[in-house]
Amino acid sequence: MKSEHSWRYLTLGILLSTMAFFIIVQMVRIQVSPQAQVFRDRGSANTGGWQTIVPPRGEILDRWGHLLAGNITVYEVGVELADVRNPSTIAMAMNAVVGSNYDDVFATVSQPYSEKAIYRVIADFVSEEKKSRLEQLKEEMDIAYGDQKDKNRPSLSGLIFTPHLQRSYPEKELASNILGFVNREGKGYFGVEEKFNDLLAGTPQTLWISADPNRVEELPKVPDGVSLVLTIDRAIQSEIQSILQTALKESGAEAGTIVVMDPQTGEILGMATTPLLDLNEYWHYNEIFENPTPFNKAVSQSYEPGSVFKVLTMATALDSGAVKPDTPFLDTGVFEIGGVVIHNWDGGAWGPQDMLGCLQHSLNVCLAWVASKTGANFFYKYMQDFGIGHLTGVDLAGEVPGRLKLPGDGDWYEADLGTNAFGQGVSVTPIQMVMAVSALANDGKMVTPRIVRSMIDKGREYNTQPQVAGMPISPKTARAITKMLASSLEIESSDALIEGYRVAGKTGTAEIPTPFGYTSNATNASFVGWGPVDDPQFLVYVWLEKPTSSPWGSVVAAPVFREVVERLVVLLNIPPDKVRQRLLEGQ
Amino acid sequence: MNDVQRFTQVYTQAPWRKQLQMIGLFLVLLILAALVAGIYLSVSARTAEIGRSIQGMRYQIEIIKRGNADLSTQLADITSDEVMRKRASELGFHPLETGDEVLYLIVPGYSDRQPVNIEPAPSLALPSNPSLPSDYTQSLLDWLRERVFEPAAPLLEAKP
Repeated sequence: MKSEHSWRYLTLGILLSTMAFFIIVQMVRIQVSPQAQVFRDRGSANTGGWQTIVPPRGEILDRWGHLLAGNITVYEVGVELADVRNPSTIAMAMNAVVGSNYDDVFATVSQPYSEKAIYRVIADFVSEEKKSRLEQLKEEMDIAYGDQKDKNRPSLSGLIFTPHLQRSYPEKELASNILGFVNREGKGYFGVEEKFNDLLAGTPQTLWISADPNRVEELPKVPDGVSLVLTIDRAIQSEIQSILQTALKESGAEAGTIVVMDPQTGEILGMATTPLLDLNEYWHYNEIFENPTPFNKAVSQSYEPGSVFKVLTMATALDSGAVKPDTPFLDTGVFEIGGVVIHNWDGGAWGPQDMLGCLQHSLNVCLAWVASKTGANFFYKYMQDFGIGHLTGVDLAGEVPGRLKLPGDGDWYEADLGTNAFGQGVSVTPIQMVMAVSALANDGKMVTPRIVRSMIDKGREYNTQPQVAGMPISPKTARAITKMLASSLEIESSDALIEGYRVAGKTGTAEIPTPFGYTSNATNASFVGWGPVDDPQFLVYVWLEKPTSSPWGSVVAAPVFREVVERLVVLLNIPPDKVRQRLLEGQ
Repeated sequence: MNDVQRFTQVYTQAPWRKQLQMIGLFLVLLILAALVAGIYLSVSARTAEIGRSIQGMRYQIEIIKRGNADLSTQLADITSDEVMRKRASELGFHPLETGDEVLYLIVPGYSDRQPVNIEPAPSLALPSNPSLPSDYTQSLLDWLRERVFEPAAPLLEAKP
């Protein structure tokens, strides 16, 4: 019995061993064959793929949480070449719905499928609406012609839609000069978008995404871009933009700028400049901002400010002790300094004055005398302390420092002291003036202007803090100059006055230098003011370029200041002075 | 000697009984191996299924994030300054003009409108990140070690 079956066991054993042997030989052969690497590559190609994960760009909001810059879903439209049945239909549909060029799409889609030509992009940044229309067409064609066996039947087969995010600006032109824009490559240009581009964009990561569900935990989380809450108040921004547009029409000015800041914290509440750009159509930039117009003149264009600069000259003189508010001055209409004769704005002589009168009548002769009495060393030291000629550090892209010539510079002459005293021969940006004047409105403390109130990163909100940029003058001087400027406006019955509110301010009318000197009749009209004088809560700077209705700041810029303040006191809930005093006493 | 052989033969198990024991042992081992393999396969399949659903959920998260971004932008569109002004105007409201009668009141306890805080400040304590209990992550060996070598809960409580 045993020997009867043993040959069967032996045969079966040999057979199975032979099969096992051949299997092992085949396995070894495959492992060491020249095609082994090809198999390995094919295998690993199916285990996952490299993907660049672009985090959503951070949002930008105003101080109350209104969205100023967000994101919307758009689509990349591509084709899987292997699935394309009718290139002509795809080209026609893309032309009709998206507006793509028929020939370009047809040429792309007609490429034969190969290992090197698998997928091709035919359009990008296609809106949800257009994508839905294409999908609908695809579906309708499948229903209408899907059963036909004709190879040339109409079909949108092969179309692939890949969603991604694109920047969107719901407020369109509002605060456009502050925000800047993002191009299709995701790079920020101008304003906050450029200044904080790295933070807003986040860090894109190229990762191997495994298809193996057992390795799902290995996929790291890519954090979203940082969101920014600005100091801007949407309502104030809207009001000052509207007021500026009206002012440009009424004054015939070429361009204008209005800046509103809280002088105690440095928070910019509104910053309107022209021209404006609908940020959702940023590709019109080159047409609107003809070279060399800066995107935001409040920080990127310096100019000779004229008489608004006198507030700094007078503050310097008072603080250094060169003059007192009641120091007398006899205005003869001329003052010679460094071989140059200074005249008043009207060419006249104003007779006996005190310092209040000099500011009230904006007398160039008096201020040149005040500067000479202060002395060049003190004058320029104070100007530097006020930040003139330096960047303010405002968190916006493209800030320029202006120019303050100093004794010792090759192009500085003694006469510059006289002209600088009334804001000629020195160039500043509006934001520099705002920062410098904040010292006058804030008991001598000069604050750094800021646009970003807080940053939101990974679920935490980090607030920025007010920064004191220096204390160029004493609180006593600041209060004295504020009082003088408030009185001068009241005595003059200035157009800047607001019923119920005491404000301080100064007009400015500056001649515009040309390559041949001050030969043009065009002027820069400005006004700087703050209030309420007992507790300043706003500081407003107005600059109108080349007004035609009148060249004078007192005529064209002062009323703009008043209009802005009339809206500000409502939007900032500031009761009239008398009511405020009564309420304070009631508390 | 014969007695010894007889004695041994009497107390020695029958060959068929030995074979049966061997077969039984083999079958027990086979069943154990099959059981382990089955459990392993079941756990692997569940892990893969859960992994796949996590992948799906991550994809869903991306879709929801984009949806949220869209909705938030759409909301901003329909509540933009321009639209709200138009709507207010249509409802008969107009901006406060100079000279309009405004009544200011002291309201005890009222604090003025404060700028928005969207997220908590970094210094504030936040709920800790959700974490899986150890029951979901410890291995069988860890569990055994914990049960065998570490004191039981009542003993821990009895410690001074």
